[in-house]
Amino acid sequence: MAMQDTAPRPRVLLTKSFIDSHDRAIATIALALRDAAMEVVLIDYEQPEDVVAVALQEDVDVIGISFMSGGQVETTQKIVAELARREVADLPLVVGGIIRPFDVPPLEAAGVREIFRGGAPMADVVATFERLSRTYRGLA
Amino acid sequence: MSAARHGPDGATLLVRARTGDSLAVARAITAIENRTAAGIELGLAVRGLRGRCRTLGVTGPPGAGKSSLINALIGDLLPRYPRIGILTVDPSSPVSGGAVLGDRVRMAAHSANPDVFIRSLAARGHLGGVTRTTRAVIDLLAAAGMDFVIVETVGTGQSEVEVAELTDVKLVVCAPGLGDEMQAIKAGVLEIADLLVVNKADLPDAERTITHLRAMLLHRGHDERRRALKVSTLTREGLAALAEAVEGRFADAPPPPAAGQGASPRLKLSEDVAELAAALVRESADPRIAAIVADLSAGVISPSQAARAALDALGDASPADVEPN
Repeated sequence: MAMQDTAPRPRVLLTKSFIDSHDRAIATIALALRDAAMEVVLIDYEQPEDVVAVALQEDVDVIGISFMSGGQVETTQKIVAELARREVADLPLVVGGIIRPFDVPPLEAAGVREIFRGGAPMADVVATFERLSRTYRGLA
Repeated sequence: MSAARHGPDGATLLVRARTGDSLAVARAITAIENRTAAGIELGLAVRGLRGRCRTLGVTGPPGAGKSSLINALIGDLLPRYPRIGILTVDPSSPVSGGAVLGDRVRMAAHSANPDVFIRSLAARGHLGGVTRTTRAVIDLLAAAGMDFVIVETVGTGQSEVEVAELTDVKLVVCAPGLGDEMQAIKAGVLEIADLLVVNKADLPDAERTITHLRAMLLHRGHDERRRALKVSTLTREGLAALAEAVEGRFADAPPPPAAGQGASPRLKLSEDVAELAAALVRESADPRIAAIVADLSAGVISPSQAARAALDALGDASPADVEPN
């Protein structure tokens, strides 16, 4: 198999809380991104700060967080604060899942780049991760 | 955008990685993985410089519990080895080239520990259970101050013997009840094992599996040090004993052969030059290289003329001609 192994591949971290067992959505996104030639790291975080520690070690270009129960705004704000503390405030954040209308303004205010509230075509989701990744890596 | 991501050279990457900052180490690994010119220079700069860093390879079939075992061992290793690096390799899709890297799901307990650095690597088409650049990444982690590095292979079985050439001590992890699959393992991977580990000892078939493995070890000739141990990451049975056994094996493990050992120095140099030249051609902003590519595409010059011309152009290129990133 002649896979070109020197092309930089988008690296993405997809994550959800370890107490949230709804993993169908995140698995579906992971497979779609894999099929779009991205390298996808999966973790279930225990603390919001874990997400940033892992993102740094894995040198990812985008973080995607799935919420299927609670904590949408509070968790996201903690992750944004930790990104700033670790001096990677420009690492883009995407949020998806059960996002209620009143969650949207504070998520946008926190600097989330894209919010997928369900029903978005998968092609749009993939294109968003691709675009954010290329911009962050400086290839745009 | 993020200026920090634009191409520092190999020496700069190394200086930053040596500060121990996890993002600097991570970006150095990315450069090595992508085989950029800077990444290749960095790999050459750290080659073979492992110092006192111990290395452990963990292989075995899918589902044997390699990731969980590593996760469980970290606690037993940290008192002895203050900084631990873990490389976990998962397969890349042969269709898209993408990958889902899920091993560290089992290592969540250590996500926030600044003394444990975990990196997921995609095999990117490389066979043998590790990635093409795993050796250089191990060397980098050692140079960045890790005292212990664990390499977890893809986990597809028979042909995953490359890790044996990269690490001091090799664990082969098996699960009870694999039955006939055990036969397949026997032919290849078991031969590189310093220690055989039957994980999931809490399951009823564990005793039978360990008996088979011990019988097999006797067949291969008695060696006190090559043992089969039973552990359970669920009950923690046998984990402390396994950590002790690993420590014991380090004492008499020969250092892993250096890259290209046995190959002539000239052959090794030729491979290094080829790698570096290829990266420089890929990244070059030199208009002469662009012209050669254009002429080659248009059929104006032959492939051999193009290759010669590109080598000439590289030969007198100044570092400024190399495009960042």
